[in-house]
Amino acid sequence: MNNSAMTQSGDPDQIRDTVFVVVPAYNEAACVGRVVEQLRRVYPNVIVVDDGSSDETAAIARGAGACVLRHAVNRGQGAAIQTGIEYALQRGAEYVVTFDADGQHDVADIRRLLEPIVRGRCDIALGSRFLGEALDLPASRRILLQLGVLFTRLTSGAKLTDTHNGLRAFRRRAAQKIEITLDGMAHASELIDQIARSGLAYMEVPVTIRYTEYSRAKGQSSRGAVKIALHYLLGRVLR
Amino acid sequence: MNGLQVLILAVLGILFVASLTALLRGWSSRKEGFVWCALCVLAAAATLWPQLTVKAAHALGIGRGADLVFYCAVVVMMIGFWMTYIRLRHLRRDMTRLVRHLAILEAQSSPEQGAARPPSSSS
Repeated sequence: MNNSAMTQSGDPDQIRDTVFVVVPAYNEAACVGRVVEQLRRVYPNVIVVDDGSSDETAAIARGAGACVLRHAVNRGQGAAIQTGIEYALQRGAEYVVTFDADGQHDVADIRRLLEPIVRGRCDIALGSRFLGEALDLPASRRILLQLGVLFTRLTSGAKLTDTHNGLRAFRRRAAQKIEITLDGMAHASELIDQIARSGLAYMEVPVTIRYTEYSRAKGQSSRGAVKIALHYLLGRVLR
Repeated sequence: MNGLQVLILAVLGILFVASLTALLRGWSSRKEGFVWCALCVLAAAATLWPQLTVKAAHALGIGRGADLVFYCAVVVMMIGFWMTYIRLRHLRRDMTRLVRHLAILEAQSSPEQGAARPPSSSS
């Protein structure tokens, strides 16, 4: 499908076949099957990158109809996302969406993210739970995320409301420009940094994040957040 | 020469031979090989003639030769840690690239991965 033609039509529902949803997953056997099924009801191209899981994540995702890529050893979420993006581009993706495997995102939000891209208003759409809704978000996590926003604003200059949201959408040429080099969770800040420097047009879109006991257990502790910040700063120095 | 000096010199001698072998056989870079050999020679000199470190310490305005050796050891260790960290980073990056390459290659060669299965009829 021709990209300019799609931009003219401006309807995200007409481009579903060219959208590739990348789902990084590490030991997500409990959730990944349901997430893939929900995604596949709308988007046929779902790529799950199993980041060296020791459980049945890959088999369950494959059973649910996803195309599964397996990292032989655990390399971190950033590495898994980059693998998924590269593979999606090789498969001819016109739009790439990143989506967490823990079930906290809403599939309907993908359409909201794609809309401004398809209409030609931006190249990258970033989900923001603080413009949208964060259901059952613990106060401690809210503070941690706000500190993350402040940190990213200081380091990259990007004025965003939510910098650590796993739900993002890229136009093909934007995805081609992005190269995540920080393997772990520090990739979120690196990504914002690259977007801010790339000259690509980006905007935030309100999305809903639903926190569950499962997703809370998978999230970062404050100690982990400090480690991530140090990782990111070292990554910048040694780039 | 006391027993401890003999022991240190023996260790330094082994390190020197190993560094020289690595340098001559191309296992280490020229720069790295020369630095290791030079460090071994300097350490051996300081072990054999401790008064040299005292003279050098006085020349630099440091009270004792032992202090100078300690400061130098700290600096060398810090540089060593930093170089090891950078090397480890490069190794990790290469490992990620390799793991990514293998994952994509495996997916490309698997016929069932060529195209995603059509969504279930419930969609």
